[in-house]
Amino acid sequence: MLCEKCGVNNATTHIRSIINGEVCEKHLCSSCAVSEGYIDAKNNSLAQMLSNMFGDVIVPDEKKVMRCECCGSSYNDIAKSGKCGCSECYGTFYEQLLPYFKRLHGSVQHIGKKPEKILIETDFAPQIDELRGYLKKLVDEEDYEQAAIVRDKIKSLEEDESK
Amino acid sequence: MSSWYEPIEPVNAVAVSTRIRLARNIKGIPFPSKMTLEQFDKVNNLVRDAMAQSDLPIAKRLKYISMENVPEIERFAMVERHIISKNFASNYQNRAIIISDDERICIMLGEEDHIRIQVLLEGLQFEKAYEIAETIDSILCNALDIAYDNRIGFLTECPTNLGTGLRASAMLHLPMLEDRGELRSLTESISKLGLTVRGMYGEGTKALASLYQISNQVTLGISEKNAIDNLKIITNQLIDREKEYRKQLNTLKIEDRCMRSYGILKNARILTSAELLSRASDILLGVSLGVVKCGIWPMKLIVEGQPYMLMKKVGEMPPDSRDIERATMIRNLL
Repeated sequence: MLCEKCGVNNATTHIRSIINGEVCEKHLCSSCAVSEGYIDAKNNSLAQMLSNMFGDVIVPDEKKVMRCECCGSSYNDIAKSGKCGCSECYGTFYEQLLPYFKRLHGSVQHIGKKPEKILIETDFAPQIDELRGYLKKLVDEEDYEQAAIVRDKIKSLEEDESK
Repeated sequence: MSSWYEPIEPVNAVAVSTRIRLARNIKGIPFPSKMTLEQFDKVNNLVRDAMAQSDLPIAKRLKYISMENVPEIERFAMVERHIISKNFASNYQNRAIIISDDERICIMLGEEDHIRIQVLLEGLQFEKAYEIAETIDSILCNALDIAYDNRIGFLTECPTNLGTGLRASAMLHLPMLEDRGELRSLTESISKLGLTVRGMYGEGTKALASLYQISNQVTLGISEKNAIDNLKIITNQLIDREKEYRKQLNTLKIEDRCMRSYGILKNARILTSAELLSRASDILLGVSLGVVKCGIWPMKLIVEGQPYMLMKKVGEMPPDSRDIERATMIRNLL
């Protein structure tokens, strides 16, 4: 494929932007990609390579763009540098970052060490077991109104635990 | 107190050292690239207090040092001793370390993450190194609000460290694999297993001193134990292959090569850093094969002959004068 700007060189840079839901694709050679501002010619660092792994979107910052409440980073800032601004960024941009984690690690679920403190805070298993026993008792007693409340409580604990 | 490169017990003939690094951050404070100088101080104080309040013997062995009190030559000499990163030595303002006397444990504060726990041991000791790092990590996790998410684990500035935040590595001496030209293809196969191999000294295709570092890359979706086990299996395969090739050597020829290098280091009057690395590599091979008797572990020659390590002893000087001082120092050591 030839570069759609100069029409001379092969297109080696492919940019796919999604702005307001509309997909727009550009296919440029490396020098036109630099002149159009999609690639920083001086910056061939690892950070640049990492940021390329984000695989998208260099949309200019807009006023309405979502920013991390803690450090003010936008998703674009993260994509450009390949680094998050603070630990809250992971919560703010979790959905957008997931495909990137998958590309980097081949997985999106931590299965290693869990800090003891968090284990205590989030180990709802004994409480859930107890509530399940109570739920069974309520169903046996045909107290469906109370059973519905207990069922919802179990559900919310299970959701909390999986977060 | 002797460092990792001056072991008292003899170490594995191929694996020179083992390193474990854990990356951690404190909740509610931006990552270092977005931190103010006050926030660097805050992180330093929080971690220093957490360690000081611990009753564990390991915590008592560590001391807090502000990097601003460490002169430039010593900062870069620490890089050459593999205690801190180059980036940390350059950006030292409001940074600190918490370090053991023997320098085998070093916690960098304000590197790419708030907290980088590093344990560096001689020989192949993945389990022991991890155990030490994990103990320190637990002290910090109990005392501080460490940034952690049940889904994606420990949160780090760069998502490449997300999950366990664990980077385990071994430094291997692989002169025979290098001579046979097998390293390139091995490196490619190893990279498919989520591990990387890179030269420790020098740039380009040939690593000076034939020293290579193998490390894990994947940190999310794998437990610390599995990541270390995988790395250990491949490391042991590399070691076995290197040893196998060493067995096949012509003894007289290799003795000649090692003794020539020994002779040069013992007699040279001018010695560049590159020549030292290549000669010391031969001696390392000779010592492991038992053909060179040398009262000193050759890694000490390699580390202490580095430019800043040398200047730490003899004062700041241009490269030409350093080469003369290096030759003198190595002669004295041998």
